[in-house]
Order: sequence, then structure tokens, then C-alpha cells
Amino acid sequence: MISVIEGFTFIGKRIPRKDAELKVTGKAQFTSDIWLPGMLYGRILKSPYAHAIIRRIDTSEAERLGAVVITWKDVPNKLYNPRLVSIEEDTFKDWQILTNHPRFIGEPIAAVAAPSEEAAQRALEALRIEVEKVYKPILDPFESMMPGAPKIHEKILRGNTEITVENNVGATLEYSEGDVDKALREADVVIERKFKTNRRYHFTLEPRGAVCRPDPDGGITVWSTTQTIHNTKILISQLFDIPQSKVRVVKTYLGGGFGSSIHVNLVTLIAVALCLKARRPVKLILTREEDMMHDHVSYQMYFRVKAGAKRDGTLIAGEFENIMDIGAHQIQAYPLLGTALGWFVSLYKWRNIRYVGKAVYTNKVPACAFRGYGNPQVTWAVETVIDELAEELGIDPVEFRLKNYRGKGEIFWGQGPTVRSIIRSDGVPELMDVGRKWIGWDRRDRLPKTGRFRRGIGVARGFHTSGAGGPISGSVIDYTGAIIKVNEDGTIDYITALQDHGGGTIDAHVKIIAEELQVPPEKINVVPVDTSNTPYDVCTHASRGVYVGGEAARRAAQEIKRKIKELAMRYFEQEYKERPVNFEAIRIRYDPEVNDAVIYVEGTNMKITLSELAKLAWQKNWGTLIASVTYRSTVAPPSFTVYFVEVEVDTETGIVRPVRVFAGADMGTVVNPDLAAGQIHGGFMMGWSWATLEDTVYDPETGELLNKGLVIDYKIPTAQDAPKLKDFYVYFAHTYEPTGPYGAKGIGEAAANPVPAAIANAIANALGIRFYELPITPERILEALRKKEEG
Amino acid sequence: MTDVNIKPSIINYFNTRIIPIDFEYFEPKTLNEALELLSKFGKEAKILAGGTDLLVQMKIRRKTPKYVINIKKIPELVFIRMSNEAIHIGAATKLRMLEKSEYVRKYYQALYEAVRSMASVQIRNMGTIGGNLCNASPAADTAPPLMIYEAKLKLKSKRGERVVPITEFFKGPGITVCEPDELLLEIVIPKPPTERFGSKFIKIARTSMDLAKVNVAVALKIGSDMKSIEDVKIALGSVAPTPIRAYSAEEFLKGKEFNEENIKKAAEIASAETKPITDVRSTAWYRKEVAKVIVRDALSEAYRRAMG
Amino acid sequence: MNTRRIKFKLNGELVEVDVKPNELLLNVLREKFHLTGTKYSCGLGECGACTVLVDGEPVLACLTLAVDVDGKEVVTIEGLAKNGELDPIQKAFAEEGAIQCGFCTPGFIIITKALLSENPNPTEEEIREYIRGNLCRCTGYVNIVKAIKRASEYYRQNLK
Repeated sequence: MISVIEGFTFIGKRIPRKDAELKVTGKAQFTSDIWLPGMLYGRILKSPYAHAIIRRIDTSEAERLGAVVITWKDVPNKLYNPRLVSIEEDTFKDWQILTNHPRFIGEPIAAVAAPSEEAAQRALEALRIEVEKVYKPILDPFESMMPGAPKIHEKILRGNTEITVENNVGATLEYSEGDVDKALREADVVIERKFKTNRRYHFTLEPRGAVCRPDPDGGITVWSTTQTIHNTKILISQLFDIPQSKVRVVKTYLGGGFGSSIHVNLVTLIAVALCLKARRPVKLILTREEDMMHDHVSYQMYFRVKAGAKRDGTLIAGEFENIMDIGAHQIQAYPLLGTALGWFVSLYKWRNIRYVGKAVYTNKVPACAFRGYGNPQVTWAVETVIDELAEELGIDPVEFRLKNYRGKGEIFWGQGPTVRSIIRSDGVPELMDVGRKWIGWDRRDRLPKTGRFRRGIGVARGFHTSGAGGPISGSVIDYTGAIIKVNEDGTIDYITALQDHGGGTIDAHVKIIAEELQVPPEKINVVPVDTSNTPYDVCTHASRGVYVGGEAARRAAQEIKRKIKELAMRYFEQEYKERPVNFEAIRIRYDPEVNDAVIYVEGTNMKITLSELAKLAWQKNWGTLIASVTYRSTVAPPSFTVYFVEVEVDTETGIVRPVRVFAGADMGTVVNPDLAAGQIHGGFMMGWSWATLEDTVYDPETGELLNKGLVIDYKIPTAQDAPKLKDFYVYFAHTYEPTGPYGAKGIGEAAANPVPAAIANAIANALGIRFYELPITPERILEALRKKEEG
Repeated sequence: MTDVNIKPSIINYFNTRIIPIDFEYFEPKTLNEALELLSKFGKEAKILAGGTDLLVQMKIRRKTPKYVINIKKIPELVFIRMSNEAIHIGAATKLRMLEKSEYVRKYYQALYEAVRSMASVQIRNMGTIGGNLCNASPAADTAPPLMIYEAKLKLKSKRGERVVPITEFFKGPGITVCEPDELLLEIVIPKPPTERFGSKFIKIARTSMDLAKVNVAVALKIGSDMKSIEDVKIALGSVAPTPIRAYSAEEFLKGKEFNEENIKKAAEIASAETKPITDVRSTAWYRKEVAKVIVRDALSEAYRRAMG
Repeated sequence: MNTRRIKFKLNGELVEVDVKPNELLLNVLREKFHLTGTKYSCGLGECGACTVLVDGEPVLACLTLAVDVDGKEVVTIEGLAKNGELDPIQKAFAEEGAIQCGFCTPGFIIITKALLSENPNPTEEEIREYIRGNLCRCTGYVNIVKAIKRASEYYRQNLK
């Protein structure tokens, strides 16, 4: 479907991003670049045991060295959850800012601050830990769930209610629809498979960190690596009992998020605590090994999927069991149980569904959302089963998907059971059609399947929501706000708390405002902001930046436009002494000759530029042109992505390389073509890495990461590992989402979600072997090939 | 819950953002100065060449020298000199210099390929060949090529000079025959034959910027009958506590005809000579299996090069 | 530990600073000269975010002792733009959408500068090999490679 609004002035144009100059000159200030006079450097004392009770910490030597020291005794003793996206009642709290009962290696138990990093390191090493008890760590969620297993948590909070944790299960969720058992009996084909995903590390190029400064009014200013300045403000306020109006969290550039900072990073709270004790600015930036060792990792999931279909290719049953290894603390385990169900249900029309989900504690780094929030994992499992069903039925895998997927007109679950809407835009048929031709889908079985180098083509189809909005207020908080004002020279200030962690969402907003007001993007200034001068935005996550944030910006711009027209009308009446001008006859359009918006009356010579009008309003005391909007989306429409991947496997070394990639995306109107393509490129490489390279593996005795947090042994692909330019084709479907700003939807997570599945399916097509454990390493491939040869 | 005896993690002693230890620093301008310092401080001193190994290890407390001796300012240690018989490379010669040397590229193809496979341009602009050897990682990429070219290493101390064949240089992971007061001066690599000779280096790793899971270098000299193997050298890395020569495989091949069957058999013998471990990078089984493949592939390519 | 006074050229200007031998060039640049464009990201030489030019060669500031640049010329990302005008590489990165979060960007631009000084017309393969020591988690490298190609075109146009 071609976009309804044709002939955009600014939407869809290739314009360098607004912060490009700052970033290419190295002047963009990230949290770790902040430097304040009198600043102290912080270091965290990390638990050297995976599970222990600490009796005390001898801080005397560290204090003698002149450091400021805090232990669990110096911080508020409140249980909390660092992620404030869910409503209170659905928030499970089992964290402490500093603890004497560490439950994973790296959990913060104390911290120091000193005038230099070296001095802080010395003070850190001068702290003496006296251990009361050390426990053998539990590293396997199935072991952890067994009756009699040592308890990792006993009493935690859900909202403000204390609950008892049984069998180390932090949260559960069950759901069913229809009669799965009956449907499975009636199915002509049933496939049941078990899957184990890997435990991936986000590897944002910027390690997490924070700077905190005490302010004269008793408040604090905080810079941190966060995807949500407002939730950071709220949590700090709640924990440290400082009024929110006195906690100013500044929006800085963020060197990557991918979900690692949806929650308030521990380092931020510790920096605040140190700052409050020292009454001096404190900078606490994690080292890379701390960032990996003790801060965050993706959810590791164990699935059992059982699916049934009829001979004619109709899916009729889907059973899904999801055991999640969440590590030592909950961040968003309970919501993820719901979203994982949502992904499963929304991928295909199962017709009869049963779901059991459990989030299980282990003594490992706590897990948090990672681009896709369970969707890549679920899509991998589902797309594998779908592929196998199609094979079993002798139906083309592309046709089988087209027949059973949830597309236009279907009910779609946003991010869980409480968020349902109807799909209004759907580019899947177009993407499948173009993709299969480009990759040569029909020749895939004629590619070499014997000999040393074998090739295969795999397909996978995925989606992600655009935000987490819904018709009623449910379990998830999702709203945003925007302020736009016009300066007295006609330039525009755009104020939003929404964070851009690189994807370019703010640039999309600017183009949307530009389009609405017909003002060139270079005249729109994105104001550096903090929590004191912005309306609330929940967080940049769930691919909501453009769809929700952009729509808020558009509505604010719409209001400004109305006000501009009102003022223009006043001007026209005064200037041209005409009878009152018909308001509807006033138009705005961009005039390249004056490089400004021109407000004019159709069919007359009455016109004025925005800069002239703004100056006039100032001189005439007509007031400021300003609009402030708070906005919640009532839907969260899916963006669809389809990947066709051709791989080559060296069957003697097990090494896989990407040969050709078709990346098809349905994101509605593409506001920023370069940055949208960038999301796809990045999404593919991340998915490739997830599927073939990444895992964090623990020492079973000590519970320490085998690689000790050192990136020498956590590899991600380099430019030399990526496919050639000509072998990577990005294609955007011609769709238009009626509920999105100028027809746009999100893309950030959809870009990566189906990639591991596509690669796994490609390997299966090349080798005739399926893998049910990630990552699919050369070691595993070689082993499987040998087993197959031996028969 | 019972008390257990678990070793605590040392993560609180890591800090990759700074060098978390103090040391005394020296920048000798002459070789003698350096040797004087080594003789004085011995085990408590470490040589700083490129820093890409030493500084990393200091950041994670694997090495904590009291004295650090920067040898990059000593002209006698940085050079590439060609003679009719051999190439002489100063120990502090940067890897990037080796990579850019036309001579290395032409006559020591396996060494050229190995250096090019190492890490990144930036690392190769800093790291030195001497450093790579003295760090003595079993995965050192320059070691297998030097082994197949039968390089000799000149070591010097205040007490005198000695020459050690590369095959006797490594003693274990991170350990060489270098005495605490000794400095690696020079690597001498005899010039390989110009006719019917080919060499090849292959490395298997997780990504293109990684330490080897397995690496191999072979040198092959074909007899004047154009099909028999006059001489062959096979060296492997990352499959034993040190880089090794596969002597049994070499013995098996010498004098035999170069054909697929013999190459395959030789590769299997070479693999049997390895003693790899399972670690965070790969498994022992995989290393043994892939060693077979790349020894065979390297021999095939070396043959192609030998035959022109 | 004794401090030493080192003198070197920093982005074209002669500077002097007292450093301890264990101070890394990365931290001296960031903390003493407040040039925060060069980033700490891994500290182990694996990611390239701290790439700077020393005597024209690309090296890693996180593994370079400050004392080692005494008497040398150091160029950081802040030293590329001349008189407020962006270097063609910087322009090309902006134009090709090669920047997302921007944390890896200074490192990539510096390594590109080194590449194009050595090889003004690199092939795609040569580009990918040369920049493999610089990691990016956001872009998948596609637009970065395109930007480097464009930058090489700009350089060749300027030379004409």
C-alpha cells in the first residue's frame, strides 16, 4: 500500500542527524565525559562470592587513606526494583542499594570515593571483608526450583506487600485459550521441541555510570547512562527521601542502551549515596569488566514448544512453556512472562493456546531486557517449529507462514494479555514476495548440500510492538510529553525527556515537527533538558520512540500550528484591513527561497513568514507561541520484519558465514531512511552475533564468569565479519500506519527479532541439522555433523 | 546451607581503566643500560615493548612488576636487515613494520600471513615481535611461522650472549628460557629455498579480531622430481602448553609423495601430537579435529605455492 | 612514584604536563586536557574506541603510557576539524548516517584518517580489514564502510 500522504517536504529525506557534528568532533558529552570541580571518583566493592552473608567490612584503612566510604549501613535499607515501568502492584522488589547478603559475584556491598581513580582503587583494595557464611552457588534454574534447594530469596515485596518466595521462583504466569489438548489430538502433525537460549551481554560501547552533584538547595543533580531520566528521578526520590522537584536528572548522550538502562543502573544509586555522604560531586563509571560481570545480562530462557497443524496447513494448537533464568534479582521478570506470552500469541494464529511461565532465581548476574525483550528468543523457537511443521507437511515454509501469521485485520497482543488491538498496516506479503525473489528462495534446495562447503537459505518473520500503549491503563506505564515553543526569530525549541540512544528517534521527531510546521529541520533546536523542565516520559524502550514520542511531538506541533494561524489572522486583519479572514483559508507551507515556513491565505497575496510573525508577536505583546502535550497511545501496532539469509557452512571446521541477506521491514512511513536502514544493519549483525557467537558462561564451582568479565573472551563481530555491501539488501515495505505520526511505526527491536531464527533456519537448510541450543558455534556444528555421519 | 570452601573472586583488583599499580620506570637509551637494569632487578623487572600484553596483564594483576623497563628507545633493537643467508629482525620491531616489509611478504609468507591475522592495525602499530614471543602465549601467532622457518633467537645479558633455536625457546604458557637478566635481542630467520618451496599460515578464531583457537604454519620443499616431499615443517599453536612442531607428522611425510592420502594421514598424526585444552574459547575435541583440517589445508596451499 | 614532565605536540600545539609513569595516555588526554572525545570502553585493546594518532600512526591510548609520547605528535578527534571546518571524513560520516549512539565514532574517524593517509583509494575489503579493530554495536558497520568510501572520494576530489 502506498503512503496516503504523498509529497512530504521533510519526512523521508536524507538529512544528517542533528547531533552529527557534536559526535564526529568528539564534543558530544556522555556521562563519563562529565567533569566537575572538586569531583571525587567512586569505586564499588563487589561481592567476591556468588552467595554469602557478610559480617562486616573493615573500612578503617580505606578511611585512613582519605576516602569516603559507604557500606550497606550507610544507605537506606529499602527493598526496591530499579525498573519503574510497571505499576507498583506488579513490581517485585528484591534489591538493596548495598547489601550484606550478596547473591551474585559482583553485587555491590560497599563503595568508596577519592580524589582520583587511582586513590579510589587503592581505597577499594584496602577494604577488608569479613565473611559470616559462604553458600554454594546455584547456577541452574532447574536445580534452583527443586524442593530442598538453598533459598536465594525468602521474603520479597510485590508493590508494598510482602510475599514469600517458594522454590526460588520469583514469579509465575499461566494462560490458556481454547482446548489445547483436544486440538493436539485432532492435529494431523504435532511437533514438540525443547530450546535453550544463551545468556547475552549487551556490550553497549559506553559502560554504565553516573555523576552526582550536591546542590545548594539540598537537592542533587544527576547525570547517568539512562534510557529514562524521569524514572531515575523518581526512584532516587523514593529511596533517598528527596522531593522529586529537588532531584534533577540531566539528559546526556547515551553510548548505547539496548535495554541495559531501562532500569536505573545500580551505579547511579551508589553514586548518589556517595555524593550525599561526601557532600561533593562523585563520578562513578563502571569499568568494562564490572559492566559485564555484575551489572546486566539478557534473560536466558528454556522453552518447550508443542505445536499442532492440520494437513491443509492450518495451525490449530500451540503450547508454550517458558522457564527463565533471571539471575539473582528481579528487574522485569514478571512483565517478561507476560510479554513472552504476547510474542508467542501474536506471531501466529494458534487458535488454541496454553502457556506456563516461570521466572527462576539463580546466583548469577541479574537479567534485564535486551533489544526485543524476549522476542528474539521466542521467535527463534517458534520459527524453528514453524519451519519443521512446514517440512513435515510438505508445504513451502513461506506459504505456511503467510497462511497462519497474524496480519492485517487480526487481533494483536501488544506486550501481553492486557494490551490488544487490531493490526491496521501489514507489509508481510510484500516483504515475503520481494524477499523470496531477491534471495532466490526457490533454488535453495539446489544449493550445495554435500561436500565441504554447503549452503542454505532460511527465512524468518518477526515483529515488535511500537510502544506499550493500550486502550485501558493496565500493568505498564506508557506515556510521554513534549513541549514546543517558537523563539522570537522564528526558530523552534523542542523539549522532550525522551532519550535517543543512537537510533535517531529525536531526529525523526524533528522531521515530524518540521513537516507539521513546514519549518526546515535546521531551525528546530533540540533543547538539552533535565527532569525539571520536561514532561514525564516513561522510557525509550519497546521501540516507542518514533511512534509515541513522534506523535506527541506532532500533536504539540499541531497546537503550535493552530496558534500560529491565530496570530497570523490577527496580523492579516490588521495589516490588510480586510473583513475577518476565514480561519480555514490560512495555510502554511515551506518556502525554500526564504528557507522558512510561510503562512498565507489561499488565493490572496496575504502572507507572512514565521520569523516575521514571531518577531511581530514579540513586539506586539501577543505572547509566546508555546504548546505542551502529554500523550498516551492507545495502541501499540506491530512493525514486521522478514529476513531471508543465505549462509555457507564449512563442514570441516563448522564455521558459518553470511553470504547474502535480505532484510525486509514494514515500519510504515520511513521518516529517517539512513537511520532506519542503520537499525536494520545493526539489528542483523546483533542477531548474527546472538545466534553464532555470544554467551556468558559460569564456573560451576565459584559462580564466576569464566571470562572474568574481560572482553578478550566476549566476542562480537567486527567489520570484517560482516557481509559485503552488495550482499545485504534492505527493503522497506510500502505501508502506512494510520495511528502513527505520518504513518510511521517503530523498528528498533523488530530489526533484530527474527535474525537468529533466520540464521538457524538457513543452517538447517544447509546441513539438514537443527540446533536447539544457542549459540550455534562451530564446535556444536562440527559435533552434530560428526554424529550425523556416524548415523 | 553448609559452609563451603570457595575461592573468592579477585575482581576487585581489576581495573582496566587505569594501571592500578605503582612501579619504577626506566627508559634506557642503549642496550647496555637496559642490560644493566635487568641484571640489577632481575625477576622484579618487566620489559615494556608494545605494552599490548604487559599493560593488559598489569591491569588485571596477572603481572605486578616493581620495575618497568621501556626498551622502545633503543635503536639496536629496532631493525629489519636482509642478508643473503637470512633476515635479521630486532626484537622491538613493530609487527606493522614486518607486515609492511616487502621482503617478509615475499620470502616468509607464513610469517606475513600470521602478522596480518593478528588483532588490529592499532595493536600491530604498538606490539613487537619480541613481545609476542616473550609473552609466550601458546596462541602466539608469530611462533608457528618462526618454527617452520627454523628461526634462531639471540638472547643477551651482562653475562654474555647466546643463541636459542625457537623450538627450544618456549617452556610453558607464559614461560620462556629467558633468564630474568636476559633480553631478547634479535630474531634470525634463515632464508628459505627459492625454488619448489612454499609456506602457509592458517588461523581459526571466533572472529577476525581474536586469539587463535588453533593456528598452524607449514613449510614445504618439493624434490626435483616435482612430487616427492624433500622437506617439511609443521608447527601448531594453541593446542599445547607451548607452540609445537609436529615432528612425527614431519617424519612421516619426508620422502613420500605429495598426495591427498599422505597429507590426510600426516594431518592426523599432527593432530595426535597435540594436547589441547578446553577453555573459554573452544574445546579440546574441536581443536584436535580442526587441527587435522588446517594442517591439511596449509600443506595443500604450500604445495600450490611451491609449484608456482 | 616520581612524576616526569613530558612535552609533546597535541593537536598541533606544543604542550607540557607532569605525569606519573603509570598514567595512561587515555586518562591524561581526558582528565588533564579535558579532551573527552577519545573514549574508555574496554581498556584491553579490543574495541578501538580510544584510537588516537601518534606520529601519524593509529594506536590505542588505553594501552599507551603517557610517558611514551614524550617528544611525539598526538592527534585526537578534537584535532581533526581545521578552523571550524570539518574534515571530509567527519562530513562523510554525518552524510552517510554512519553515526548512531556516537560512542565509537571518534575511534572510527581516527582510524579512517590513518587508513586514507596510507591508502587513498581502498577497496571495501581493504576498508573492512583495516577497521576491524574498531567495534560498533549499533550500526552493523554498513554505513560506516559507505562513509569511508565517500570520504576517500572527497579526499581524491580535494587533491585534484
